[in-house]
Amino acid sequence: MAKKNEIPEVDIVVDEAAGVIREVKPEGDRKFRSKRGHERRVNTAIYVTLVVMSIVWLCPFVFLVLQSFRSYLTEGGGMVNYLLPKQFSLDNYVFLFQGVGFSVKRLLASWQTIALTAAMVLGGGFAVYRMAKKKNIKMIALILALVLLVLFMVCVDASSCNFVQWYLNTLTIALVVATVQTIMVLSVSYALSRMRFRGRKMLMNIMLIMGMFPGFLTMIALYFLLKQMGLTQGGAVPGLILIYCASSGMGYYISKGFFDTIPKSLDESARIDGATRFQVFLKIIMPMAKPIVIYTILMAFMAPWGDYVFASYVAMGKSSSYNVAVGLYRWVNTNDYQGYFTRFCAGGVLVAVPITALFMALQKYYVEGVTGGAVKG
Amino acid sequence: MASVTLEHVKKIYDNKVVAVQDFNLQIKDKEFVVFVGPSGCGKSTTLRMIAGLEDISEGTLKIGDRVVNDVEPKDRDIAMVFQNYALYPHISVYENLAFSLRIRKMDNEEVHRRVCQAAEILGITEYLARKPKQLSGGQRQRVAIGRAIVREPQVFLMDEPLSNLDAKLRNQMRAEIILLRKRIDTTFIYVTHDQTEAMTLGDRIVIMKDGFIQQVGTPQEVFDTPRNLFVAGFIGSPQMNFLKAKLKRVNDEYCVELLGVNIPLDAAKCRKLAEKDIRAKDVILGVRPEHTTVCFDKRPNSIESTISVNEMMGSELHLHVDTGNGDRIILRLPTIDLTDEQRAQLAHGNKLNFTFASKVIHLFDPETEESLLF
Repeated sequence: MAKKNEIPEVDIVVDEAAGVIREVKPEGDRKFRSKRGHERRVNTAIYVTLVVMSIVWLCPFVFLVLQSFRSYLTEGGGMVNYLLPKQFSLDNYVFLFQGVGFSVKRLLASWQTIALTAAMVLGGGFAVYRMAKKKNIKMIALILALVLLVLFMVCVDASSCNFVQWYLNTLTIALVVATVQTIMVLSVSYALSRMRFRGRKMLMNIMLIMGMFPGFLTMIALYFLLKQMGLTQGGAVPGLILIYCASSGMGYYISKGFFDTIPKSLDESARIDGATRFQVFLKIIMPMAKPIVIYTILMAFMAPWGDYVFASYVAMGKSSSYNVAVGLYRWVNTNDYQGYFTRFCAGGVLVAVPITALFMALQKYYVEGVTGGAVKG
Repeated sequence: MASVTLEHVKKIYDNKVVAVQDFNLQIKDKEFVVFVGPSGCGKSTTLRMIAGLEDISEGTLKIGDRVVNDVEPKDRDIAMVFQNYALYPHISVYENLAFSLRIRKMDNEEVHRRVCQAAEILGITEYLARKPKQLSGGQRQRVAIGRAIVREPQVFLMDEPLSNLDAKLRNQMRAEIILLRKRIDTTFIYVTHDQTEAMTLGDRIVIMKDGFIQQVGTPQEVFDTPRNLFVAGFIGSPQMNFLKAKLKRVNDEYCVELLGVNIPLDAAKCRKLAEKDIRAKDVILGVRPEHTTVCFDKRPNSIESTISVNEMMGSELHLHVDTGNGDRIILRLPTIDLTDEQRAQLAHGNKLNFTFASKVIHLFDPETEESLLF
């Protein structure tokens, strides 16, 4: 402390009237006015608060993970009054996958799966061929991973395994919605950003205001509509896809903000160079908008992945149509939760894994996307 | 290579603002035409209408013999260089140049040949692998021009291509555009707000203001015989001086009275005025700074003034002087023959006499602002 007192203590004050920066000798006792000491105290307080907050925030997750590894055989599946399991085991995870089958033959089981397989192989092959021409290794890997994932999903036989069935339902919905919604959001945003047409402003405002209402206000109306089309219960998976995709264009706001920051003269230049609007979008705008594309995909994937409200009432009463959130909830709600609680925890962990992995891999773009759009949002 | 014809072309925006009024112009094949004017005069809008980036509200636009009012930009066979270059930032210079050719599904060898050729013309061969971000302003400008060259378009449009460059580079690129024009020899339409660029580049200049064409002519024509006060003031640097004066007529002889000095007009001007049957009236007399002569000794018919500002430009002096009736004018005086004694006379506040020949006088009607001699 003695050493510190030798440093002349001054405050730096910006004198706006004179337009200069001045050094001002602080008034009062130097010890209490010590700038560095003050700064340190504030920082300490901030860090202590943050550490406490993050512990509070992490607690449920740690609890969930710990419980999921608790041995079912020795400690049962119910709630207990201690945090650390006495014996760790994978009992709960094993239970989740009980009865699951895997057979490559399923790829050719019915005309639907044959069509899907063919589409995947041909489409994927074509895409890989195109990307191989451009030597775009990353895209090739991505396409192959997606095709293999879909084919794998077809091969899995979940008819006698609830959890895997729910998981597949959720994954199917999320993948389809992520694809469709991304295409819709990006094209709507591009159109609103670049084209001028009558009623554009009004359309944007209406969509913005409607987007502020919570989606489940339309629940009852949507339910009746879906029921008319036979897309509830047994048909809940396509029904939910329809619901999630239907109003997706309304999420244009952030990506439009991003597109607005790309100079219009690039579009004009490309159009004079001979590109159609669609080619401009695909070849000029998309490669420059990578962060916002990834952000949109992530958002479109996550919303149906964790949705409970819509999924619960559309699929009501038909166990094979549930998504993971609904299924797991029903385990602890209607079944005896004393027997299913740790299994619920294990299911929860498995739900969190892919989304966490996605986030960690794409975090960089995610932040860029959010802030990039915010600049001119 | 094609002519461009604009007939009664008009641009009215949705909010009823009229940007371009009744634009008529015939641009010949292989001609270099410059649209020049202050900002907001409609020159860029006209260019963008030719490019197809703006709709044409009224009138017809022809490229060659084809009416292209409703033709998409990509089908007009034009190329355009933008003010901010508009290079595609995510692909290399090579791909930037090749973009338009690839869109047209040209085969790879031909693409390569054309890209290399354009790169060679512009001296950017060693930058082909770089991204636009890694280039300087001048290099980017070259790439932007190169992207237009590879197309071998019928019409070459340039929208203030040099205004983002610093002064030195701008002069250099201007010279290069003149050379480029000789090499690729096609129809050019060039938009600028800089009269120097317009004068040096154009075969013909179109001077615009408030959506109207003020005058169309070769650089020499618009310099020598400006049609109105605006053109006279816009073309030439420093600007033309305007003085209040009286026109007097004796039979078919005219003379101008300026601050008590009578300046007789030469025969050609008298004939023109007589043809128009112009009577004695107030006029605005225009004379360019470079056409004035400073007299250090008092001469008959010279006009007296007071020096207000003395700007040293190196090879010449710009003297801002006040005349007796409150006009401030600029005189241009070469420094090469000045003696020290004369230099001393040019200090602020001193009296100075100047004169000019009647040959270089322009006369304008103060009400209509039209030239009386056009």
